[in-house]
Amino acid sequence: MFKQNTISSLLLCAVFALALFGCKTKEKKEEANKVAIIVSTLNNPWFVFLAEQAKEKANELGYEAKIFDSQNNTAQETDHFENALASGYDAILFNPTDADGSIVNVKNAKIAGVPVFCMDREVNDPDAATSQILSDSYSGSVSIAKKFVESLNKKGNYVEILGMVGDNNTWNRSRGFHSVVDHYPDLKMVAQQSADFDRNKAMEVLESVLQANPDIDAVFCGNDAMAMGAYQALVAAGKADKVKVFGFDGAEDVVNSIQDGKIVATGMQFPAVMAQTAATFADEYFKGKRDFPKKMPVAVELVTSKNVGNYVAYGAKK
Amino acid sequence: MNKLWQKGVLGVLILLVAYNSVYFKKLDEVKATTAGFDGAAYATTFWSEKLTPAMEKGVDLSALLQQLQTNPDQAFATHSHALGIGNIKYFPVKGVATVKNVRENEVQVALDAQPAGTELTIATEYIFGNAVRDASGQIDINAFTNTMDFNTVSAELNNIIRTKVIPPFKGQVKTGDRVEFTGAIELNQKYLNFSSIEIIPVSLSVEKQ
Repeated sequence: MFKQNTISSLLLCAVFALALFGCKTKEKKEEANKVAIIVSTLNNPWFVFLAEQAKEKANELGYEAKIFDSQNNTAQETDHFENALASGYDAILFNPTDADGSIVNVKNAKIAGVPVFCMDREVNDPDAATSQILSDSYSGSVSIAKKFVESLNKKGNYVEILGMVGDNNTWNRSRGFHSVVDHYPDLKMVAQQSADFDRNKAMEVLESVLQANPDIDAVFCGNDAMAMGAYQALVAAGKADKVKVFGFDGAEDVVNSIQDGKIVATGMQFPAVMAQTAATFADEYFKGKRDFPKKMPVAVELVTSKNVGNYVAYGAKK
Repeated sequence: MNKLWQKGVLGVLILLVAYNSVYFKKLDEVKATTAGFDGAAYATTFWSEKLTPAMEKGVDLSALLQQLQTNPDQAFATHSHALGIGNIKYFPVKGVATVKNVRENEVQVALDAQPAGTELTIATEYIFGNAVRDASGQIDINAFTNTMDFNTVSAELNNIIRTKVIPPFKGQVKTGDRVEFTGAIELNQKYLNFSSIEIIPVSLSVEKQ
C-alpha cells in the first residue's frame, strides 16, 4: 500500500513538473529574451560607453537590455548576478571587477544555464564564460612603451600608475610596458602605485609621488582617466611641459589632449567592437550556436601626434 | 525502505565524487595553463617545432609588397594572421635584401624589387610585441588559462631573438652586404603605411660582398 502510494505520488509530481516546464517553455518562447549588462563601474566614461554600446546593440537585435553598475565592488557584482538570474535574464554581457573574484559569479550563471560573454576584462577560468572578448592590452602597451623609450631617448626617471590590482588588464598593460622599458637600465622607475583606474585617485597619487620625487621625466598610466588625473597634478605642480604623460584607452579627453600636445600617446581600444561582438554572440547563442571562441582578442592601436587624425574617442574615424 | 533510500543516496554520492575526481585534458593544454607556467620552456619548444618551420614557409616579401599595392584585401586575406578582431595583422615573410645603412636601432635594407616609397628596416634594438608569435599562425590563445601566460610566450620568443639571432648579425653586418632573412611584419589594414615597415627577424644570414 505504502509502495503504491509512493509511486502514485512520484508519478503525480512528475506530471506536475512536466506541466510546469511546458508552461514555462511556452511562456519563454513568447517573450523576447532579456540581456543583463553588468559592468565594473559607471564612474568612468569608457565603461559607460562600453555598456551603452552593448545595450544599443542588444536592443537593435530585438532584446530587452538593462545596465547594472558594480561600482568596482565584487560583492555588488554578486548581487547583480543573483538579481539577473532571479529575474529571468537570458544572457549576461559582463565586464568583471576582478579576474579571480568574479569567477564564482560567472560559474553560478553557467549552472543556471545563462551564458556569460565577458567584455574587455577577463576572468581567470577558461571554461566559466561562454566567450571572452578582450582588448589585447599587452600588445597595446608594448607599442606605447616603444614610443616611451624613443621619446625619452632611453633614459630618465618615470612613474607608473597602475589600475586595479585584481584586474588582468592592469598587469597585461604593466607587463607589456615593462617587457620593453626594463631593457633600458638608464630608465628608472621611481614609483609604482595603484590608482584603481580612477582620475581623482591618480591625481592624488602623483601629487604625493612628486613630493618625494620632484625630478621625473615621464608618467605611464594604465588608463586614460588616470593619465588625465596625472596631467592635472603636473599642471598644478607647474611641470606639465617637462613631464611626458602616456595613457591607455582612447578616451575623448586624451585623444583631444594628444592633438593639443598635452599627452604623448595612448593605446586606442575599441569598446564598441567588444560590446557589439558580445551582444552579437548572445544573439547567436539564443539562435542555437554553441561553439564560441573562448578568447577573442581585439587589437589595440598606438595613437600619437603623428596619426591622431585617424582617430576619434573610443575608435577609428569612419 | 529507509535502507534502500540510504543506499541509493550513498550510490549517487559515490558516483558524483568519482565523476568529479577523474578528468582528461590534453597534455599541451595542461602544460600551458598551470599556475607555474614555464614560458621559457614553452617558447623554446615552440621556436624549434612550430615557429621556424612556419617562417621558412613565409611569403616572399617582395611579392607581398607588390600585392599589397595592387590588391591589399587579397594580400591580407591570403597571407596575414591575427588572433582576434581588429586592423592589426601579421605576416610571416622571407627574402634577400641589400643593406643600405646600419643604424643604432635598426638596419635599413632594400629588396631587389621593391615598390617606390617603401622603406624597410630589420629591427635590431626594439624586439618586442607579439608579431613573431602571431605571424606564425601556429599558436592557439584558447589553450592558455589567461592572457598573461600567453603573452609570456611572446616575451620569451623575443628574448631568443634578442640573445641568439641579433648579436651574431650585428657583429658582422655592414653597408652593402646581402642579407637573407625570415621574420614577421605588422601592418594596419585600415591605415596601410609603407614608409616604415619593420621586419622582426627570426633568422638572419649575411653574405659578405
